[in-house]
Order: sequence, then C-alpha cells, then structure tokens
Amino acid sequence: MATQVERITTFPNFAGDSAFAIGEYEQKSLPLAVETLQRLYSYMLKCRTVEERIRILFRQGRFAGNYFAAVGQEATQVGVTMDLLPEDTIAPSHRNFITHIMKGTPLPQLLAQIYGRKTSPDQGRSAPAHCGYAPLNIITPASTIAAQLNIGTGIALAYKMRQQRNVVVALSGEGSTSLGFWHEAVNFAGLHKLPMVIVVENNGWAESVPVTLQTAVTDISEKAKAYGIPGVTVDGNDVVEVYQAARTAITRAREGQGPTLLECKTYRWYGHSEIDPAKYREPREVQEWKGRDPIPRMERFLEEQGIWTNDWKQNLLKEFEAEIEQAIAFAEASPFPEPEEALDHVYSFDIRERELAPKTWEPKLGR
Amino acid sequence: MPVMTYIDAINTALDEEMTRDEQVFIIGEDVGKMGGVFKATKGLQEKFGVDRVIDSPLAEGVIVSSSIGAAMAGMRPVAEIQFADFITPAMDAITQQAAKLRYRSAGTQTCPLTVRVCYGGGVGGGLYHSQTNTSWFIHTPGLVVVAPSTAYDAKGLLKSAIRDDNPVMFFEHKKLYRSVKEEVPDEDFTVPLMKAEVKKSGSDLTVISYGYTLQLSLQAAEKMKQQHGVDVEVVDLRTLVPLDKDTFLESVARTNRVVIVHEDNRTLGIGAEISAVIAEQAFDCLDAPITRVTAPDVPAVPFSAPLEHFYMPSVEKIVAAMERTIRY
Repeated sequence: MATQVERITTFPNFAGDSAFAIGEYEQKSLPLAVETLQRLYSYMLKCRTVEERIRILFRQGRFAGNYFAAVGQEATQVGVTMDLLPEDTIAPSHRNFITHIMKGTPLPQLLAQIYGRKTSPDQGRSAPAHCGYAPLNIITPASTIAAQLNIGTGIALAYKMRQQRNVVVALSGEGSTSLGFWHEAVNFAGLHKLPMVIVVENNGWAESVPVTLQTAVTDISEKAKAYGIPGVTVDGNDVVEVYQAARTAITRAREGQGPTLLECKTYRWYGHSEIDPAKYREPREVQEWKGRDPIPRMERFLEEQGIWTNDWKQNLLKEFEAEIEQAIAFAEASPFPEPEEALDHVYSFDIRERELAPKTWEPKLGR
Repeated sequence: MPVMTYIDAINTALDEEMTRDEQVFIIGEDVGKMGGVFKATKGLQEKFGVDRVIDSPLAEGVIVSSSIGAAMAGMRPVAEIQFADFITPAMDAITQQAAKLRYRSAGTQTCPLTVRVCYGGGVGGGLYHSQTNTSWFIHTPGLVVVAPSTAYDAKGLLKSAIRDDNPVMFFEHKKLYRSVKEEVPDEDFTVPLMKAEVKKSGSDLTVISYGYTLQLSLQAAEKMKQQHGVDVEVVDLRTLVPLDKDTFLESVARTNRVVIVHEDNRTLGIGAEISAVIAEQAFDCLDAPITRVTAPDVPAVPFSAPLEHFYMPSVEKIVAAMERTIRY
C-alpha cells in the first residue's frame, strides 16, 4: 500500500513556522510508501536511542575522549542518507556518527570505535567523531571544519570521470559556511556539475556562536546563487520534507544535473560536545525546539495515518536496546591495540623496524 | 638517447604515465591550454583532453583536496602548485587530510596522490616566488617528500611518485628546469623513491644535499679536487622523507667528515635532522664537527640581487665550509 502525496502535504508543521520553504526542485508527485515512512521513523528512533545510550556511557566514564551528539537533528541526517546506495559516498562532519547507522556500519564496530578498541573500523586510531568506514564509502572526517566537502568534491569528480551513477552526500553545520574551504568546494562542485548533495545542518549554533554572528543571510541556501546551483531550505525537523528534498537532489545528482545545496533548519539539544553544558543558550529556546522534536512529530503523523502504535514503538525500542547492549558487550570485551601498532599504517610500507631499532655505524677507514 | 632538460623530463614523465594509466589526471592552475607557467604540462591537454588535464579555479585548497578525494576513489591525480609560496591554502588538505588518511583509517582509505610543487630561489623571483619550504612537509609523517636534482631523476622519480600508493610531495626547483640537461632514456624507466644516491664518490669528505644545491655541491666538489686535491663524495638525498639514512651514514663512515647543504632555512631544516641522525647513529665516525651551509633564518627570499645572493647557498660558501671541515 502506497501512501500518496496528499498525506505528505498535510504533514503537520509542528514548528508553526511558515518561513520554511521547499525549493522549486521538490517533485510534489513523489509518492512515499508506508514502508518508507516507517523506515524513516524507525531509523530516527534507533539513532536517538544509540546516541542517548552513548551519552550515558560517557557520563559513566566508560570511554575516554568526547562525543558530539546529534540528538534533535535526526530528521535531517536520516532524511538525507536513507536513499543512498552502498557505492554512494557520505562525507560526514564530527556530528554525523549516526550516518554510520544509516549506511550500515556494524554497530559493534562503531561501539568499539568509541572505546578505542582494535576491533573498530580504524583499529583504535581515531575518536568517534573521526570514524570512517571504507567498505561503505564513508570517508573519515577530520575536525578541520568543511574540509570533508572538498574531499567529497574529489570523489564526486572521480564518479563523474568514470561515468559512475553515484553521488556524494557531504554534511556540515552552518558554521562551516564561514570557511573558505566551504566556498571553494561549492564553487568547484557547481563548476563541474559534480554529483553531490551539499547538506548544511543549520542547528543555529557553531559551538557557542549563533548563526546571526556567522552570516548576514537568513537562509544559508541563498549562498547557492553565488555558485550557480539550486539552493533549498527545508524544515530540518520534518523528516518527510527532508527526505523528499534530499531525494530530489540525489536524483538530480545521479542524473548528471549537478549539485544541490540543501539547508536543513534544525537544532541540537545538547552542547557542542559532552563537555559543553551550552550555558550560552536561553533555556526557553531549547524548550521551544524540544517541542519540535522530530520523533513525536512523526509519531503523531503516522498515528493519524493509522500506521503507528505505541506497542510497535516499544517493540522497536526493545529490539534496538538489545542490539546496543550486545554491541557494548562486544566493544568492552574487545582488546585494545598493542602499543607498537601506533607505528602502523603511516605509509604503504612498514616503518616499525627503522623506528624501533635504528642501526649504528662504526668508522670504516683507519683514523 | 635524447638530451633532455629537467622540465622536458617532467613533461615526458607525465605524458608517459597518462598514456600508461587512464586513472592518471592532471589538475592545477593554467595547466591546460597554457601548459603551465613553466610549460611542464605543455601539449598534454591537447593530447589527453580537458577532462584529464583540468584547468582548476584559482584555489590551491581545492586543487589538492579534490585530488585527495579522487585519489581515495582510486584515481591517480597529479596536482600542480604553481609556486611553493602559494601552497598555504592547501596546507590543511596536505597535512590534515592526505598525510593522515591512511593512518586514521588503519590502511582502509589511501591517498595515491602526487603534488608537483615548483620551488626555489636564485631567479630574482622575490618574496613570494622563491621559497624553499620543504621543511614544512618533511615534518609531516605520512607524506613522501621528493626533490630531484637531475633530469634523469626528475623523470624516473616522477613516474615512481605517480605509481606510489602514498601521497607524494614532488618538489621541482625552478632554477633547474632549463639549466640542467642530460641524456634521459625516451622509454619507460623509474628511479626508486626512498633511495639516496651517491652522485660522485670520494674518500675525504661527504657532502649531503638535494635539488639545486646538489648541483652546486657537485661544482664545489670539483673545485676541492682542483684546488686542494680533496676527494669529496656527493650524496643526493632525492627523497627527503622517509630519509634513506643508510646511504649517507655509510658514506660518513667512510669519509669521517660531513657538510650538509640546503636552500631551506637553517633552523629545523633537513640539515638539523641529518646532523642529529649522524650524531645518534654514527658519532664515532666523525673526525670533524658537522657543518651546514643553508639559507639564513629570514622570513623570505629578498628580491634585490645582492640580498638574494647573500641568501642563497653558493659554490663559494660550500667550498669554504668544506675547507673548514677538512682543516679541523
């Protein structure tokens, strides 16, 4: 049974904000199957459950380092990544850990990443914020903001040169659009009509600096005009709207029509990271945005369509929690890497011997 | 065997590699129709098309970072940085991305990228067209840094760099482009990366250098022979990182005296590292203090001729250092 587009256009806008406009590229005739709606919902729920659990693990001191939760932004990240093929690339930022769940990186390995264990995708080298997964084309994000967009343009260039029908979805926050890197990448992508979707997760805050101190434009998507590509702003807490806009952009990219700048207006519930109590924000603002929580919004919508029940949700949660517990158990039982492994994978050849046991020389001539 | 200039050797290497492997492509400023400001890519766009010789926007950051992405996807990009002085917008891409990619992904994501960088002074280029900034990159593990001093090596090393699975910074000295000529096979050959070469053997003193100053060192060695009968061994590093320590340490073990010459600034230039390696691994081999001939620690290569002359290592300065070392 397919859910027809009328239902989508009646998707309730709990934000009560008419400023969000879907761009001209939305195809109103796009049907969403019940199954698609259910998947969008269940992935949001799973991502939320995983991240809230990781936050607890951090506060329990069960892993070192830090974590950059995307709680509150699930509709954006789930919506833009759900339609990707295994061969497509995600170029994530530090707050896109949950895109791994979307692409299919095994959860036990992801938890091992958090714990710095040898069984993780990069054998304990990087923090969760820098985790990539080569088998599914998730590039390792660096913390230099917006740099992943530039790397993404190169992958998209390779797709184009090889006439591969694949796309690159690059994600970054609104703060990234203040960097030269960001503009170089969007310019280059537009110039070469690269198969990319450039997603700006506008959550209002670049660490402690509000978007109003980053840029004079109201909608980041306006910046697309400067690079000759379409710019679209959507309600980033409305998963159906995000999904539809992303699907249009992905289709355009796959068909060789070039990149789209997709701005999703959303909000992060917590601080920049787990060590940031985010006291720079007004509690009222946080409460308002929590009222626009994408998950209950979707629940109400699905319930109206007769395809959501609390029992179903509880069953999903039970399933996710069991999966997470198993992943945590796997991670905690996994070994740490051996210390000397810090010398591995610097080059395509081994440097251990020359680093650990340098030779010494004696004079050869008579002195 | 044809006689080639250093720049011809580079052009030939690019041509041959693009013919051999269709994953190889070129991207950089003015590399297309113009063939590069120094003509290193002359005729290649005509031959291979605009999709394989890409005139980039004026943005070094995107030249290198888009090359990194393409390399991750299995292509073999050769990016050109017109002048080493302009490389700073690409520093994030080089040091944070290319150098760390293999490491941070435990070898599951790799970056077979070559960045050709035109560097060096002695041509009246002034503050922003003369710099030797190899040390910025030799301090960054994960990169292979190559700097040939002859036309033969330029061709053979560039071909190796393009085929190598590591990100390679390939430094071409602009003063060498047309000043050195030699017979270079017009066929496929490579020169191994990570291997220094004894360019001239000798028994009394070892001089260690690379790039343009290697050529000056060869001339200085000739003068030492003529003027003092001193037999100087000349070691060309060729690859600056990872450093082929064995070749120069063996040389020092034979000659017991060493002069290091480079055009990069003195402090923490590669001479400092080589000195430390000799002190740590071959201290007993030394009969005289290690001597360095380098550029001074000033922020740029000055424009006015006497100032630039003072800045640059020269045959005279190298000979003077060799004399001091021999007389010690």
